[in-house]
Amino acid sequence: MILIPHIVYAILLLAVFILQTTVFSRITLIAGSPDLILLFLAAWSLNERAKYGWVWTIVTGFLVSAVSAMPFFAPLIAYLGMFIISKTLQRRVWRIPILAMFIVSFLGSLFQGFIYVILLKINSAQVGWGQSLDTVILPSVLMNLIFTLPIFAIVSDIAGRIYPLEEEV
Amino acid sequence: MKFLNPKNIQAIVLILVIAGLLVLALSGYLTPLFNLSLNPLISLQSWLSVRYVSVRDFLTTPGNITELREQNAILESQVTQLQTQLIEMEERLGEAQVCFALLDFGRTNPQYDYIAATVVGREISPFLQYIIIDKGTEDGVLYGMPVVIQQGLVGRVDAVIAGAARIKLITDSTSVVNIYLQSAEIEAQLQGSLTGDLFLDMIPLGEVVKPGDVVLTSGLGGNYPPNIFVGQVLSTQNRENALFQTASVQPIVDFKSINAVLIVKNFEAIDISPLIPEQ
Repeated sequence: MILIPHIVYAILLLAVFILQTTVFSRITLIAGSPDLILLFLAAWSLNERAKYGWVWTIVTGFLVSAVSAMPFFAPLIAYLGMFIISKTLQRRVWRIPILAMFIVSFLGSLFQGFIYVILLKINSAQVGWGQSLDTVILPSVLMNLIFTLPIFAIVSDIAGRIYPLEEEV
Repeated sequence: MKFLNPKNIQAIVLILVIAGLLVLALSGYLTPLFNLSLNPLISLQSWLSVRYVSVRDFLTTPGNITELREQNAILESQVTQLQTQLIEMEERLGEAQVCFALLDFGRTNPQYDYIAATVVGREISPFLQYIIIDKGTEDGVLYGMPVVIQQGLVGRVDAVIAGAARIKLITDSTSVVNIYLQSAEIEAQLQGSLTGDLFLDMIPLGEVVKPGDVVLTSGLGGNYPPNIFVGQVLSTQNRENALFQTASVQPIVDFKSINAVLIVKNFEAIDISPLIPEQ
């Protein structure tokens, strides 16, 4: 029964992953698009009852790195950074989880964007800081903030349903 | 004289009166009298009939509303079914149009063998321009194969597994394609960008490149087959102290709405990297 949360997470991760590649990657604002996986991971890691969040962060990072064309396991680095931000905030703003979620979404998206630009530049891609910020990073941050609330609500609800089940057993 | 008793006389008079009235009526002499007497009757009949019908309708309408509601529900369900069928037919029509268009491309370029594939996903990171297709090594897709659609060049296979492949679009910021400007008869490099826009680089300063010039693949470098349509020149930029001109290119392919692609099967990309001197 301890496995139930992990099975639920794995199923949700697959669903979110499919949604991201098929639907959300096509929703663009200038050149930015929302990162549903990042938001899902942030919401999950902010949940106090969710255990082994770092393990799932690594698993998610590896999965996305395997599919994405980003170099040097960039998604893994970005998600680990986001996880560290979320755990830091969880201890400081634990009373208002939705505020923590918005902050993690904002900072995590910015961190991800900057990591991607740095790694793309190392990979000699034609990417400029100004253009990246204007056309990709800031629009992506805005879209992530738009989707933050529904994702947080869904993940919190699911986590609330599966963890009491574990405690009862 | 029994025949002429008062009763018989009354009967005979009555018959004669009736016969006379009939003769007068048939001959039309009584028409004004009939009109005068029948018009009020007809008016009364009409008034009564209207009221009766109103009262009957009032009493029978609830039954009809129920019936009408049932009929309405049936019709609504039929409309829903027809709308569903219409959407399905439109989807099939769209797929058929894509297939026909791809078939046309295959017919006009018979020198190549193609593998048709459906686009099933897009790159997660917005910094990169990649698509994921549903064909892999099991279907004969190999790394480096060029990918086209009916309008022109799309990209090349960047990574491949058994049942899927990742295509690097020519709009990606790390993509470089050697192209040939048909009207100016010069070669240049087509580069992608972060926003998915295409631009030409390495155009010699002395060459005249005009908006509308057709951009084709040159085949140099061995990554793409020659003479595949890429787009048209939008505008040129000639910066001071620059060694080359640059130009914006309007791609012929709408990269945001690609649903199906053709992979050029019998084109082998040539790896010339060992021939490039190390810097």
